Amino acid sequence: MKSIFAAYHPAVNFTFFCAVIIGSMFFMHPVLLCISWSAAFLYSIYLNGRKALRFNIVFVLPTMIIISLINPLFNHRGMTILGYIRDNPITLESIYYGICTGLMFGAIILWFSCYNAIMTSDKIICLFGRIVPAMSLIFSMVLRFVPKFKTQIITISNAQKCIGRDVSNGSYKERIRHGIKILSIMVSWALENAIETADSMKSRGYGLKGRTSFSIFRFYARDKGLLMIMTVFITVISIGAAAGVTNIQYFPSIKIGEITGFGIFVYTAYFLLCFIPVILDVMEEIKWHYFRSGI
Amino acid sequence: MHTESENTGKLNKRTITSAVIILIFIPSTILFGVFFLDDRKYFIVSLMIICYAMIPFFLVFERRKPQAREMIIIAVLIAIAVAGRAAFFMVPQFKPVIAIVIITAVCFGAEAGFLTGAMAGFVSNFFFGQGPWTPWQMFCFGIIGFLAGVLSQKGFLKRSRKQLCFFGGLTTFLIYGGIVDLWTIFMVTPEPKMETAIIVYGTALWFNIIHSSATVIFLYILANPMIEKLERIKVKYGLIEKLPK
Repeated sequence: MKSIFAAYHPAVNFTFFCAVIIGSMFFMHPVLLCISWSAAFLYSIYLNGRKALRFNIVFVLPTMIIISLINPLFNHRGMTILGYIRDNPITLESIYYGICTGLMFGAIILWFSCYNAIMTSDKIICLFGRIVPAMSLIFSMVLRFVPKFKTQIITISNAQKCIGRDVSNGSYKERIRHGIKILSIMVSWALENAIETADSMKSRGYGLKGRTSFSIFRFYARDKGLLMIMTVFITVISIGAAAGVTNIQYFPSIKIGEITGFGIFVYTAYFLLCFIPVILDVMEEIKWHYFRSGI
Repeated sequence: MHTESENTGKLNKRTITSAVIILIFIPSTILFGVFFLDDRKYFIVSLMIICYAMIPFFLVFERRKPQAREMIIIAVLIAIAVAGRAAFFMVPQFKPVIAIVIITAVCFGAEAGFLTGAMAGFVSNFFFGQGPWTPWQMFCFGIIGFLAGVLSQKGFLKRSRKQLCFFGGLTTFLIYGGIVDLWTIFMVTPEPKMETAIIVYGTALWFNIIHSSATVIFLYILANPMIEKLERIKVKYGLIEKLPK
């Protein structure tokens, strides 16, 4: 489903994903991990529907379980010993740590699956076009070349078919030779074509001063608003992290700060930050529903 | 004369950027990790250092305002590597990416080799899915290209099929296999240990063997015809003197 969050400016999208992915990597606090994981889980299903649900169940959950199990087997730190497997102690702390690492891994993978759906290549180019123009140009050209080469291979293959040299002609050995020949023609064509494109770019003034670049994205007031809201949340979370509300110590024994009013405040900020896209989409759905029934 | 003075200027800039990163960024990241990050320090610090390591290459390329011809040739080679990785999507690890990166590096130099490798890793993950592994893959593909370029410029790596195959197989196994699996180790446990390393490398052994034999096979088939084609383009359009020495 198309998310309303995807329609925001790429800078807003990118800031959001940076914040949540870095947040998921930094904070080992179970409350924060659960928040981040559930937000990523919900949003990935909202974005990709059944496909995401299958991916999450077939790939993400088993990997999380495997990571949770690996940790107590190889990590013997911790004070509370539960038992021994082949003379190696299994500790309660390492089991907790394993579960949290699994959650963290799941959250990061899920956030990246959302990132892949939202941060399309045109948005990357819009963001990095000014900072690294040459690399962005190469990047956009590669994205164009891949489908272009695919079509060109079909053209070459058809032309070769006319003279009986396609991969469908001849014996097994000949077919392989024909295939290699087609790829060879393809590479020569691609290189020649590249020089032609480059000369064409140069003759149109590529690299001269004062040239502007086109961008389809505009920074609206709503982008500014959302960016400011996110900045507030990130500041609150950073203050909380500096004050130690998000800290947890696993080894040698689990030490977790008591839940204070300020702690709950920071958790709420993190919750709201992670759920921004979901909240926006729900608001949008309600709006649409309301207007539709009103007509 | 003009180009020569420009060249020394570039070299200084590269040295300055690298020096700033090596002397200031990396130590402060490590200190930050030691003092502020408790159990995640290996994972986060290693990820950040891998990213820093790539910055000088990209910055230098941007600073020297590359010619359109050079950029598009690199883009074509990246596209071939990406298409090659996508074409073999059904066979895990059996990929021609490193073979193409090495061939590029041998023909167009270390810088082009690094950029082709790093960008091939980045762009192909738009088809395969981005994740925390992306910087690691980019760095490994890139540094293999860089090494191949440096060694062939210094004359240690000849353009013979045998030497390229040997180099390709060895670097794929040791550098790619060795570095990419580090992130798994750092991800899974709070601190790297021999036990975990043995398990991770043990499971990855078969994948690494398949990957390096794929590199050897692709280099064996592709090296001579591809180098011939690239050299032809260089001679035909006079790309040689435009490339950095």
